[in-house]
Amino acid sequence: MELQYFLLLAAALFCIGIYGLITSRNAVRVLMSIELLLNAVNLNLMAFSNFLDSTAIKGQVFTVFVITVAAAEAAVGLAIVLAIYRNRDTVDMEQFNLLKW
Amino acid sequence: MAQFLLETVWLVPLYALIGGLSAVPWSPGIIWRTGPRPAGYVNLIMTFIAFVHAALAFPAIWNQPAYQVSIPWLSTAGLNLSIDLEISSISVGAMVVIAGLNLLAQIYAIGYMEMDWGWGRFYSLLGMFEAGLCALALCNNLFFSYVILEVLTLGTYLLVGLWFSQPLVVTGARDAFLTKRVGDLFLLMGVLAIWPLAGTWNYTELAEWAATANVNPTLMALVGLALVAGPMGKCAQFPLHLWLDEAMEGPIPSTILRNSVVVASGAWVLIKLQPVFSLSPIVSSAMIGIGAVTAVGASLIAIAQVDIKRCLSYSVSAYMGLVFIAVGTQQDEAALLLVLTHALSAALLVMSTGAVVWNSITQNVTQLGGLWSRRPVSGLTYVVGTLGLIGFPPLGSFWALLKLADGLWATKPWLVGIVIAVNALTAFSLTREFCQIFGGKPKQMSERSPEVSWQMALPMIILMGFTLHLPLILQSLSLLPSWADLNKDVALLLVWSSIFGCSISGVIYLGNVPKPIRLPWKGLQDLIAYDFYTPKLYRMSIVLSVDLISKLADIVDRFVVDGIVNLVGLASIGGGEGLKYSTSGQTQFYAFTVLLGVGVLGIFVTWQYWGNQVLEMMF
Repeated sequence: MELQYFLLLAAALFCIGIYGLITSRNAVRVLMSIELLLNAVNLNLMAFSNFLDSTAIKGQVFTVFVITVAAAEAAVGLAIVLAIYRNRDTVDMEQFNLLKW
Repeated sequence: MAQFLLETVWLVPLYALIGGLSAVPWSPGIIWRTGPRPAGYVNLIMTFIAFVHAALAFPAIWNQPAYQVSIPWLSTAGLNLSIDLEISSISVGAMVVIAGLNLLAQIYAIGYMEMDWGWGRFYSLLGMFEAGLCALALCNNLFFSYVILEVLTLGTYLLVGLWFSQPLVVTGARDAFLTKRVGDLFLLMGVLAIWPLAGTWNYTELAEWAATANVNPTLMALVGLALVAGPMGKCAQFPLHLWLDEAMEGPIPSTILRNSVVVASGAWVLIKLQPVFSLSPIVSSAMIGIGAVTAVGASLIAIAQVDIKRCLSYSVSAYMGLVFIAVGTQQDEAALLLVLTHALSAALLVMSTGAVVWNSITQNVTQLGGLWSRRPVSGLTYVVGTLGLIGFPPLGSFWALLKLADGLWATKPWLVGIVIAVNALTAFSLTREFCQIFGGKPKQMSERSPEVSWQMALPMIILMGFTLHLPLILQSLSLLPSWADLNKDVALLLVWSSIFGCSISGVIYLGNVPKPIRLPWKGLQDLIAYDFYTPKLYRMSIVLSVDLISKLADIVDRFVVDGIVNLVGLASIGGGEGLKYSTSGQTQFYAFTVLLGVGVLGIFVTWQYWGNQVLEMMF
């Protein structure tokens, strides 16, 4: 087991998350893609913590914080989606293009 | 006393200038309670002072050497401009003539302009002309002569355009300004081009330079032609002569000055520049050519005019043409004498015809007639003016023409023929005008035509006296040739040509020839009556080309130049209008652009670590 495999896996996960973030039409799936991104970041943090800083493991502390903040962010994000849904009766991202030129 | 007056003779132009300036307040917009007449009186007093001053100073300078005065004007790096004045018998004499004629013209104008409100404007311009002409007479510097000529060109524009509510006055003033301006601009080219050659603009130094100068003949010919072009426009020579015809729309008192003195201002510069011109035979022949063509052409045109003022204006062009011939053949003295005698006679003729116009309204000679018995003063002055202008001994112009023809006799006999022909033609045309105005039966317009009031008659009579006494004055100044030196063949030819012209004209116009007279070939009559169609020629050549070029330039300016600049603005507007669609409103698109930016920047920054390897793998 080597560091770069973890990093490559995390990068792959990040890319998948990006793809989902940009292409999803459902707002909830966008939030889910963001979770994927955050998890890819977490994988990175854990990998670095394990291979480069196995004594102080500061990366793991960062991960705990990221998970915590991600949970809060997902809660707020879902609340926003719900608020938009109440007004516009849809969660289709392509219907939310009111702030254009 | 006379010596003191001579030393302060440079004040003469200033008197006239003060007179002109002090006439301004009586413009109707400033002082209206007194009426405009004080403007004329103030001007008259100042002109009188100028005349007396110059006339008293004249005996002191006569037969004395000329002396120079130099007033520094502007001194910059490498160029010292000083107003050079030459106080000589000729310049003081010229000022006497100018101030004297101005005095008479101003007295005349008091009568002529009686029912006119524009005295402030009229007299201030007359004062300006007098000042300019006197300054030109004194000026011994080509540069300042040019300055004065330009001021006088502006003055002509304003004076011809006095009654600017008449459309023909406006076009006449326009043509007078532009035509003379063109000549003046060529003169400026010559003035500027002669500086590097001679290093001076002082006429005396120019003459000294010309005596020993060794210049490229082509260069000298070009410079000389440019210098001739200025006086050519001023003296109303072909082809720059139309303005004098149209300037006859102005008031008659100013015409007196224009025909006698203003037109001669060009000849004055021409005479002063004669040593420079003699450097190039091409310039001399050009001057002779221009003068000869103008003299013959204009005297022919004068015969075919029906307008009383235009008959005379073309004679002025013709006589200035003779001055050109005289200068072209290096006869300064004959030219000066001709300018002097012509000035007096031409002024007298214009005064006389002006007096006729004043009480008969029409200017058309074919509508006038039978005035001799009722207008003796006008008639007599006209006769004396005519005899003074043509070669009729013992009056003035006979001696001038004799001197000119005598000088030409040995060198260029064919020019004597032209002088004789011009003399005969002018005699014909002036007699024709006399017979049509004063001879024959009264016509409707001249049925009741009283003689003019004393303000107009007095200057006429005084000037008639001067014209009659001119030979005596010339003799007392020993300017006339002695009887022994006289070329009696030429004298006889001149006298015969005058008699010939006068008598044929008299027979035709007083005899039983059916009027109006028709030439067998109507085209020729129309050709000279319409001044060789010069307006059409102008309009078809210069005016047309300038007009077309300016229209083209306007189009280029509005569409190409403006278009390019506007295109920049339009491109910016278009860019903004087009690029705003990049703000699509889609959050996911924004995220995509952010990632794209980060990706591109990342590739760009890290290219050095892996880019070449990738390229090697690919190729």
